[in-house]
Amino acid sequence: MLKYTIQRFFAMILTLIIIATATFFLLAAVPGDPLVTKAERLSEEQKERMYAKYGLDKGVLERYIITMKGFFVGDFGESITFPGETVWSIAEAKLPVSARLGIQQMLIGITVGLGLGIIAAMKKGTWADYTIITLSILLISIPHLVFGLLLQYIFAGGVVNILPTIGWPEGDELWFGGWEYTILPTLTGCFSYIASYTRLLKTSMLDVVNQDYVMTAESKGLSNMRIIFKHVLRNSFIPVCTNLPMSVAMCITGSFFIEKIFAIPGIGLYFTSAVQSRDLSIVLGWTVLISAMYIIVVFITDILYTVVDPRIRIRGGKR
Amino acid sequence: MENILEVKDLRVSYHTYAGEVQSVRGVSFNVERGEALAIVGESGCGKSVTVRAVMGLIKGPTGEVKPGSSILYNGEEILNYNKKQWSAYRGAEAAIIFQDALTALNPTMTVGKQIAENLIIHKNLNKQEALAEATEMLRVVGIPEPEKRVKQYPHEFSGGMRQRVMIAIAFACDPKLLIADEPTTALDVTIQAQILDVISDLQKQHGTSVILITHDLGVVANIAKHIVVMYSGMIIEKGLCEEIFYQPKHPYTWSLLNAVPRLDLENKQDLVAIEGTPPDLIAPPKGCPFSTRCKYCMNICNERMPEFTSFGGEHKAACWLHHPMAANSIKESGLEFPFELGGVENE
Repeated sequence: MLKYTIQRFFAMILTLIIIATATFFLLAAVPGDPLVTKAERLSEEQKERMYAKYGLDKGVLERYIITMKGFFVGDFGESITFPGETVWSIAEAKLPVSARLGIQQMLIGITVGLGLGIIAAMKKGTWADYTIITLSILLISIPHLVFGLLLQYIFAGGVVNILPTIGWPEGDELWFGGWEYTILPTLTGCFSYIASYTRLLKTSMLDVVNQDYVMTAESKGLSNMRIIFKHVLRNSFIPVCTNLPMSVAMCITGSFFIEKIFAIPGIGLYFTSAVQSRDLSIVLGWTVLISAMYIIVVFITDILYTVVDPRIRIRGGKR
Repeated sequence: MENILEVKDLRVSYHTYAGEVQSVRGVSFNVERGEALAIVGESGCGKSVTVRAVMGLIKGPTGEVKPGSSILYNGEEILNYNKKQWSAYRGAEAAIIFQDALTALNPTMTVGKQIAENLIIHKNLNKQEALAEATEMLRVVGIPEPEKRVKQYPHEFSGGMRQRVMIAIAFACDPKLLIADEPTTALDVTIQAQILDVISDLQKQHGTSVILITHDLGVVANIAKHIVVMYSGMIIEKGLCEEIFYQPKHPYTWSLLNAVPRLDLENKQDLVAIEGTPPDLIAPPKGCPFSTRCKYCMNICNERMPEFTSFGGEHKAACWLHHPMAANSIKESGLEFPFELGGVENE
C-alpha cells in the first residue's frame, strides 16, 4: 500500500509536468501576447520595461525553463489582468465560493440521484420507473443555462417572488449560512448529477439483480428490502465509484456557466476572463491546479474501490 | 412412507420474444421424508426449473407457474403462499444448493455473514451468536481453520471450499428439505466425491429429505433411493435406484446408462453419445419427445404421447414399446432390445 502510494505520487508529478509543458507551449504557440492591448498607448521604453517585468522579452525556451523552475516551488508568476494577484491569492479568495456551490450540488445531486435510481430499479416497468427515467433524460438534455434562467424567472418574480436571483453569501457566511442565495444555483447544477446517477445506479442494479447470488439470497428467505440493501446495493456501487472522480472534479470546474448566470464571485469568472485575455500565469497555474485535484480524486477513488469490492487489492510493483 | 413433498402436474413456462417456452410440462413426483430423490436428465430438460418452482424462485414477468400445478409441502399448497409464508419456508424449511458456488455467493460479503444471515432471520439469533454458529457450520462442512475463514470473502476460497460454504448456508437452519441443483458439476472428480459425502453425511445426521439434480448417473447411485428421469420437460421414467440402474425400461434411460463409461471393461472404449438434440420446447412435438432420437421409434410414437406403464411397485416408464398392441410390430421388426418389454399392467 505504501509502495503503491509512492509510485502513484511520482506518476502524479510526471503527469503534472507533462500537462504544464503542453499548456505552456500551446499558450506560447498562439500568435500575439497578453500585453498587446495594454501596451498599445505606452512609449517604447515603457513597453520594454513592461515586457521585461513579465519576462516576455525572453525566448520561448528560456521562459519555459523559468516557468518550470517556478512550477516546482508552486510559483506561477503574477497575473497580468489582475496586477498583484497570483494563482494562489485568487484561489484563496474565490475557491471557497465555487467549492461550496459544487459540493452542495454534488451532495444533493448524488443523494437524490441514487435514491431515484433505487426506486426506478425496484419498480422496474411501472409508471414510477418510466417517469423517473423520462425526467432524467430530460434533465440531462437541458443545458444549465436554460435551467438557470428558467428558475430565476419562476422563483424571482415571474411566478413567485421568494428567492434572490443573484449574489452569494460572503464573509462569515462564506461556508455556512445565506442559504436563500444558494438555492437556485445549487438546484440548477444538481440536475445533471441527479440524471446521470439515477440512470447509472438503475442499470447497475438491474444487472446485479439477475446475478445468481441474489437468487441465493432469495432462497434464504430474506425479505426484498434486505436483499436490496445487503446484497444488491453494494455490488451496484462498483460502477458508481468509477463515475465519482468525474463528479468531484466537475464540482470545482463545472459551474462556470452557473456562476455567470447568478453573478456568483467564484473562480469560474476569473478563469474564463484569464483565458480570454491570455493571462499566461493564471491559465497555466489553474490548469495545473485542476489537473492535480483531478489526479488526487482519481487516486482516492482507486482506494475507495478496495473498500467497496474486497476482490480488488492494491499493491505496488509489477503484477 | 410419508411424503414431505408432493408435486402434481407441475407446468412452468417462460415467456420470451420467440414465444412461450414450456420448460416443465406436467411433472409429478413425491419425495419421501428422510429419503433422497434424484432427478436426472440432460441440460435443458427442465430439472432446475422444476426445483426452482419448489423453492418459489420462478419470477415474473417472464417466468410463470401454470395454473393447475400443485406443490404440496407437508400437505400444504405452497404455490398459494404469500410473501411472509415464503420467507418462513425458504431457508428454514427448504434450502437449495446451486451449481456454481462462485456466482451463487455474494462477492462483497464475508462468508460468515452470508451464513449468519440465515440464522439471524430464521432463528432470531443476534449477530455475535449467528457468527459463532456460522463458524461452527464451517467446521461441520469440513473447512479447516473456520475462525479465520469465517471472515474471508468467497474469492479467497477454492471451488470445492466454496461449495462447502454453500452447503453450510443451506444447512444452517437445519432444513427439512434440501435441494441440490447439480452441486458437483463445476468441480473436478475427486472433489465431487468429497462434496457428495458431506451432503449425504449431513442428510443422514439430520434426517433431511433431499432432491438431488444431476446429469451424471454415476453421482446418483450411492445417495438416491428413488430416481426420476426427465426429458424435455417431462418425466419419462421413475422408480427405485436399483430398478432404474438394472432394469431400465425407457430407451432414453437405457441410452443414458449406456453413456456412462465402464471401469470394468478394457481401456479403449468409445464414449457412447445419444445422437440428435432434444426438441424445441416452444413448439413441443405432439408425440413422444424422444421419438426423433429413438432407434425403436414406431409410427404411434410420433402421433401420441405414451401413458405410463407400470412394472410393479413404483417403477413406471412412458414408452409405447411396453404397450400390448406394440408386441406384433416389434416381432416383425426383428430388433433386439437391451431390456425386457411389457409392463405388469397398463394404467
